[in-house]
Order: sequence, then structure tokens, then C-alpha cells
Amino acid sequence: MQLQPFVAFSTYFAAPVHSLAHLNAIDIAVIAIYFAIVIFIGFYLKGSANTSEEFFMAGREMTAWIAGLSFVSANLGSLELMGWAGSAYQYGILATHWYWIGAIPAMLFLGIIMMPFYYISKVNSVPGYLHLRYGDGARALSAVSFAFMTVLMSGINMYSMALVMKVVLGWNLNFSIWVSSITVALYVGLGGLRSAIYNEVLQFLLIWLGALLVPILGLIDAGGWTNLKHQIGARLGSEYVHLWSTTGHFSENPMGIHWTGLVFGLALVISCGYWTTDFLVVQRVLSANNLRSARMAPIIGAAFKMAVPFIVILPGLLALAVLPYHLVGESQAVATGQHSYNEVLPLMLVRYCGPGLLGLGVTALIAGFMSGMAGNVSAFSTVWTYDIYGAFLNKKATDQHYVAMGRWCTFIGVLISVGTAYLVQHAASIMDYVQGLFSFFIAPLFGTVILGMLWKRTTKAGGFWGLLAGTSTAIGLFLWVHFDPSALRYVALSASAKTLAEDMYRALWSWLVCVIVTVVVSYATKPKPVSELEGLVYGVVPLPVEHDDHWYQKPIVWAGMIAVLFVILNIIFW
Amino acid sequence: MREEISIWFFAGVLFLIYGVIITSQGLWELSHPLVNPPVLYYLHAPIWWGAMMTVAGLSYTIRFWPRRIR
Repeated sequence: MQLQPFVAFSTYFAAPVHSLAHLNAIDIAVIAIYFAIVIFIGFYLKGSANTSEEFFMAGREMTAWIAGLSFVSANLGSLELMGWAGSAYQYGILATHWYWIGAIPAMLFLGIIMMPFYYISKVNSVPGYLHLRYGDGARALSAVSFAFMTVLMSGINMYSMALVMKVVLGWNLNFSIWVSSITVALYVGLGGLRSAIYNEVLQFLLIWLGALLVPILGLIDAGGWTNLKHQIGARLGSEYVHLWSTTGHFSENPMGIHWTGLVFGLALVISCGYWTTDFLVVQRVLSANNLRSARMAPIIGAAFKMAVPFIVILPGLLALAVLPYHLVGESQAVATGQHSYNEVLPLMLVRYCGPGLLGLGVTALIAGFMSGMAGNVSAFSTVWTYDIYGAFLNKKATDQHYVAMGRWCTFIGVLISVGTAYLVQHAASIMDYVQGLFSFFIAPLFGTVILGMLWKRTTKAGGFWGLLAGTSTAIGLFLWVHFDPSALRYVALSASAKTLAEDMYRALWSWLVCVIVTVVVSYATKPKPVSELEGLVYGVVPLPVEHDDHWYQKPIVWAGMIAVLFVILNIIFW
Repeated sequence: MREEISIWFFAGVLFLIYGVIITSQGLWELSHPLVNPPVLYYLHAPIWWGAMMTVAGLSYTIRFWPRRIR
């Protein structure tokens, strides 16, 4: 029977009685076309992924625009989209800090200061840079922790998307997990990083296309921004619509944070750590076709990142004003059958979008998930192949062997992610620790990389022991507060601090410990000869001069314009 | 010999297909109103949003159409 496959397919999509929305044939067609195109791209690019340079680094042929959009898109996973929309509902406009001060300065810093060192050293990964600068110890520590975090994050992203699709659309949890992960494994396994990047650009555009209608229609519904602020202020208090003015004390804002935590913990450590040393995003920039593109890519990414709150944070704020019911936390939602914060974005889509547009919105959410997962598995396969397998287990294999290993790793990385998703399903508390886990590894790693790049006196032993001490400090502080909650007043400087504030200060302390230990051990040990640091450390060798035809082509000019806009936006929403 | 298909061509084709589907759905709803319409249904978002996607998709498809190269 010709119709049988469609019927079987649609039984998974067809919403049961308890789901909030029903997808019709038009919506299913929109979703199916998306899947067909991403798989086609994977097959089309299979012939362009034959060498390790092509498979893992996309042949280093990406333009600044493609690398820049892919750089932002790989970060825009389902946790990022649905999680931060939920946080905006829960904490108000303060959630925007993770998109502005928690991203823009770090992205500009990467483009202007750090990118030249990554690019001219021709490393294939961040652990690869650590290998050149500090040797095998720091590389192994960083590669193993990154591989662990990557598949864990990928699985958590997968589970959170499948859960929302189940609650809102009634989709089978197993169906969501397997269909989306097999698709990602197929197109990344076939076309490597180039396929992941091409699809990430497409997914980024789709996310905007599908999600942009919600804030536009939502603002019309709420009577404009001024009315929205008044409604939220009247219902919950003005602290929900101010970025900075309520951060003078932990107890004066719904997030329980202080501006020192935002500036030093979030902007200086967590954000710089993530955007400049997390290989998931840095890999996209390393694929650029020249140094100028590599420097412009994070700057282009910063411009788009600054706009993302419009489709993520604003829907959460609008929901506070226009939804006729109240959303609750995940555990309460499970117990009472109410909707949780994490479902706010799909709920707003359902509110404003009819057939066709709803399919487009759901495709945007799926695209967000897939771009995040593709980023995770392609970075995982690169780090495993170059920095664990190729560095320690099989150093003398052929290039073809490493490409085959990369393809297998893509599938294995997806399988481990699926396993993690099922693990999270049975141990939901893991979700609560994600942000914490993140700060264990990223914050000290930033200390190690930045000292290695800017200070030629840093030694191999200093880098390794600094990284180990910083990571141990983060884990130790986490366990201290976990087993003795009263320790919060020491770790986060206030007993009123909440989880996100604790994460910021823990990251700050672990970074400081990493920096201090690295400096002390470096002074006590013998440094590398300067001749071995060429292209790795600031001031050792002049950086290549870029010849731009016009002043407006210089990366520093664009970075300056983004920085000015960033300051203006923070003042407007102060 | 054909040049490699640009990512912007893929984006154009996808936008064009979606634009045509969504605009058609919006026009269909003019004569067959939905039983359970979404909020602000009277603004006919599928028509103008779909039309915008069609125009953007068409222009990108033409601009980045893979051409023969020597």
C-alpha cells in the first residue's frame, strides 16, 4: 500500500488527547522537507570529506560569514533555546545577561586577541594547542574532560527536546530521540565538519524564520514593549524588567545574583572560558579560509548573538504577560500535570501559529536541537581522534585510518549521547548539575590557555598543575556546598545567592586558583626556550600583518561597532 | 564542470518551498477559516510571512544557482 509509510509516520506525529497541539499534514510536510534537505546535504558533501583535514576541519575553506553563523548556531541548542526562554519566564530580563555580557565581550576577545594564535599555530583542536604549549599532560586532561562533557551535554539536550515534544505535541519520547539522532549521525558521519557547518547555517536561518513570529505577534498581543513592561511590573514587580539596576544585592532580584558575579564570574571567567576554549564553538572558527575570516567569524557571530534574546528571552517575558495560566518548575509540573517553564517557547508557538507556521516553528526547535548535537558530536569525534586516539593510542596510523575513526566516532558519540538521554530520563537531578559541571572544566581551562598565550614564562608543569588544581577546586567547592548548604555564604559570598550565582563564583575561584598555581609553579620550574614558543605566545614573534583595502574592512572596526552597540543596549535596558 | 552548490542556494530553495506552502495555506484559510484559530488569527500571518519567505527564497535561489564553470 502506497499510503502505509505515511500512516505509520503520522501515527507518531499525531497528537494524543492530552497533548497541547495537533500537527496536520502541512506541518508534517514542513518537518519532512527539512529532514530530507539535511540528509541530502550530508550525502552531497560525502565526496568532500576524504582526508582528515577535510573531515575534521572542513578543509579550512569556510568564509567568515559561514564560520560566524555556524559558530553561533552550534551554541544554539535546544537547552539554549527552550531553557533560556524558560529562564526568562522564571527570572525576567536578567536571563539576557547570558547572551550579552555573558557572550559578546568574550566573542570579541576571541576574534581580536586569541584567534591569531589558534590560527597561525595550525592546531586542529584546543587540546592540540595545549599539547604544543604545555605537552601531553595538559592535553590529556583537557581532551578527556571535554569528551566527557560533550557527550553528556549532547544527551541532556536530546532528552530536554524530546520531553518538550512529548508534552506539547504528544510525540513518543523514543521516536524523537532516535529519529533526530540518527539524522545527525548520518549527515555528520558522511560529510564531516563541512556537512555539520552547512547544516548549522541552514538551521540558524530556520531557527530565526520559525521563532521570529512569536515576539512579533506577542508584542502586538501585549500592546507593545512599554505596555508589556507595565503588565509584568504590575504582576510581578519591576525587578523582572531591569538588567542591572537590581543587582546591587543578592536578595533584590529574582535570580539571587550580584553584579560582581555577573562581571567577574560570568563575563570574565565562564563566558571567556566557553567562547574561547570550548572546542565545540572554536572548531567552527578554525575552519575559516584565512586569518582575516577567522578573526571576523566571532565578530559576525557576536552581532547575531546579540539579537538572539529577541527570539528567546522576549517570548519568555511575553508569556508572563499574555499566557492565561501560570507555568511551574519541572518537578512540580510532573507532579501536578501543569506546564513547566521549559515549555514556554512551544506554548507561545502554539498560541500564535496555525497550520504551516506551527510546523515551521517546531522545525525551528528541532533545528536548534540538531545544530547543538551536530556541534557536540563533530567536536567529540575530532578531539577523540586527534587528541586521545591519535595522540596516545595509535600515533602512526594513516590519514585514511583517522578519517574512518572519525566517522565511527561520530556514530559512537551519538550512541553515547542517546544512552545519556535515557540515563537523564531516570535520573532527572543530573539536569540540575549541568551548569555546575560546565564550570568544573571550562573556567580553569581558560586560565591555562590565556596564561599560555599571553605569558611566555608559563611552563609545562605550571600549565598542568594549574589546570588540575583549578578543576579540583571547582569540584571541591561544589561538593562542599552540596553536603553543607550553609557553605554557600563563603563560596557565593551570600547566603541569599541562588544556584546560578553559586556557579559564577565557583568558576571565579577555580579560575583564580588555576592562575595562581600556574604562576607559582612556573616560577619554580624551567621555562621552554623562546624558540619553541613561536606562533604560540604573544610577543614572541610578530603576528602576520593583514592588508585590508579599506578601514571598514578591519576586524577591529567591526568589533568596536559591536562593542558600542552592546554598551548602548545595556544602558537602554539598565 | 559544475561549481559546488553554495549553502545559500540550499537556504534559498528551502525558504522558497516553505514560503509557497505557508502562503498557500494562508490563502486557503481565507475561504476555509480554522475551527480553532490561534490568537491574532485576523492578522493572517501565514500570508505575509509566507510571501516574505517566498520572495527571499526566490532571490537567493536565483542568485546562488549553481552555474557551469570552465
